Amino acid sequence: MRTLSEHAFTRTQDERAAELAPALAELTAHHRIACPGYDRILSALAIPRDRAYETVADLPWLPAGLFKTHELRSVPADQVFRVLTSSGSTGGGPSRVFLDRAAAAAQTRHLARTLRAVLPGRRLPMLVVDSIGATMGSSARSAGVLGMAVFGRDHVYALDERTRPDVAAVKGFLAVHGREPFLVFGFTFLVWQHLYEVAVEHGLDLSRGVLVHSGGWAKLAARAVDNAEFRRRFAEDTGLTRIHDYYGMVEQIGTVFVEGPSGGSLYCPDFADVVIRDPQTWAEQPVGVPGVIEVVSTLPRSYPGHVLLTEDVGVLHGVDDGDWPGRRFGVLGRLPSAEARGCSDTLAEPR
Amino acid sequence: MTVRQRFPAGPAVDLPAWLARRDRLTVGDERIVDFLAAFAHRLLKPGVTRVRPELAALGFFLRPVELHRAVGRARECTVDGLRVPRGLVLHIPPANVDTLFVYSWALSALAGNRNVVRVSPRSAGAADLLLDALNDTLAGADPVVGATQLMVTYDRDDELTATLSAACDLRVVWGGDAVVTELRRHPLAPHARDVTFPDRSSFAVISVAGWHAATPARRRSAMAGFHNDAYWFDQAACASPRAVFWIGADSADAQAEFAALLADVAADRGTTVEPAMAIRKRVSAYGLAADGLVNGVRFAGNAVTVLDLADPAAVPRRWLGTGTFPQATLGSLAELVDLVERRDQTLSCFGFDRAELVELATALAGRGVDRIVPFGSALSFTPVWDGYDLLAEFTRLTTVSTTW
Repeated sequence: MRTLSEHAFTRTQDERAAELAPALAELTAHHRIACPGYDRILSALAIPRDRAYETVADLPWLPAGLFKTHELRSVPADQVFRVLTSSGSTGGGPSRVFLDRAAAAAQTRHLARTLRAVLPGRRLPMLVVDSIGATMGSSARSAGVLGMAVFGRDHVYALDERTRPDVAAVKGFLAVHGREPFLVFGFTFLVWQHLYEVAVEHGLDLSRGVLVHSGGWAKLAARAVDNAEFRRRFAEDTGLTRIHDYYGMVEQIGTVFVEGPSGGSLYCPDFADVVIRDPQTWAEQPVGVPGVIEVVSTLPRSYPGHVLLTEDVGVLHGVDDGDWPGRRFGVLGRLPSAEARGCSDTLAEPR
Repeated sequence: MTVRQRFPAGPAVDLPAWLARRDRLTVGDERIVDFLAAFAHRLLKPGVTRVRPELAALGFFLRPVELHRAVGRARECTVDGLRVPRGLVLHIPPANVDTLFVYSWALSALAGNRNVVRVSPRSAGAADLLLDALNDTLAGADPVVGATQLMVTYDRDDELTATLSAACDLRVVWGGDAVVTELRRHPLAPHARDVTFPDRSSFAVISVAGWHAATPARRRSAMAGFHNDAYWFDQAACASPRAVFWIGADSADAQAEFAALLADVAADRGTTVEPAMAIRKRVSAYGLAADGLVNGVRFAGNAVTVLDLADPAAVPRRWLGTGTFPQATLGSLAELVDLVERRDQTLSCFGFDRAELVELATALAGRGVDRIVPFGSALSFTPVWDGYDLLAEFTRLTTVSTTW
């Protein structure tokens, strides 16, 4: 029995594979019984119900985008406790993911265990690099902020209602909490544009902070800032060195892949893994060869999201050779979107 | 309003003055025929056809022999009078099919109309190339061409669209249901009318007996034609075949060979389906399976996806991603009649004789399907399109009677 104080990055790849393959196979069987739509998909693919799976990569994946077009859940409607929605950057409506009470509790618990690897057991004062208004509503951004807010205390928002830096608020936060460990959270682009640049301009000392950020590098590419540059300049110009990017999606809520202390690679918590797939053959790619990221997690029990193909491109950096055991990988960006020619200017509209 | 004049290149015309002009052309006007012929000649140059094979099809369509044939046929149809131009025609072509604006415009110009073509701001590639070629051709043309024909690009601009709609005698709207509905908000003059090209869907129909009777070489060449039909416009053109109906019993072997041959042709021709498109196809296919509409999903690489329909009557008509072929088997062509809807446009056929297809068209009795064509011809534009004889639509009849 694991305790809550134990963090989630402990399994070598062999240990992980030995645990995950049967657990995910059990989940596949569970969802086939509990979610008729999921069972129909696997049946149409001619996958027998009693099929055995040797490895994680053998398991059938669903495209994550399917949760935008279809309501797939493995709990009865009257047991749905939370419906999570997120609009992705590709077409279709928002993704919709259904949690019952047990699943909602499990995702919070597993997220806490995951973050234990980079945060102390107690809550830290928290600087949110966003506006308080952005936490209202049901956007992915607000869900991200709210999901993380429970890991902090004495929250201060670094942006005003017009998404401009609130320098006084940041200075006030640092005056009170800046000499003890504190948590900084925000979306990568906002953190760069509205915290880094403000910190440099005002000579702020962020050296006691732990930065947790997410959201990708696309918007920063125009400023020629990549992960390495981001870390280097934060360290040199603000003293902030404990920086952790993370990768996760609403379709696999509660599972996040976290950048290790030395930077540059994302790691899988013990209950999850990644498979990088060749975009033509869909076979598993070896270390160093980019492909489409598949994410697997034993968390999704109330909906069949345990094996998902994303539309992100990534590459394995190594196995059992980094800060923490297991696979480490990087996210290279999103697949270029699929456009079609045709007579109708409104192609993908349903009838 | 920001209007970019694309043709004739040069200083922008004063639009109200231009709309009020009274230049006259005739049906089959030789000055227009000459211009189109010179334009076609440019498109058929090897340097162009190598880079843009779809422009060669347009070039062939605009050869003088084809144009004279079309005009001759239009004249024959006149029983008791003469065919005259409608006047001013406004064309709203689609953004996605780069060449269509030329087909629509050229036939209308051939009909002797003055034309305003709104070239989509989203069009690119072939459209720019075509506009350059049109402008280059203008140098040696009769000045009446530049004076009567106008092509412009403008972003959404209700005021300008309203002005052009009110001024024209005929409005030709491509681009699907949403565009047609949007354009209908702008009234036409009382005497004017619309020719509309709303959302359409198209199928392939194969005779199981005909398939088996064909030689292997014939089947392979048919599949080469089918590959053109399906993949040329990413299976998204209104005439691109989507679902495949097999007519006859015991279709399993033929279906398997069809998928294998198609995958083969796709591989030979280097057809690539981008990863994002491949994933989008999975979302469509898995979604149909989840809904119970499809009970078999098979892939031959990223290029070819075959879906077994649980119920042929519930055939999906929306676009499912490049190279996605729902299929079903029917006992006879008569069973197909019950499935057809108004929006169904082209049947690409293999293995039937003409009498069977005429019988099918007769049984359909206009409830749907405007074109029945062999594999390889689905995308060949003809002066009869979507059930309209376009030269007839683009003209009027003046009757002259001298007897009491």
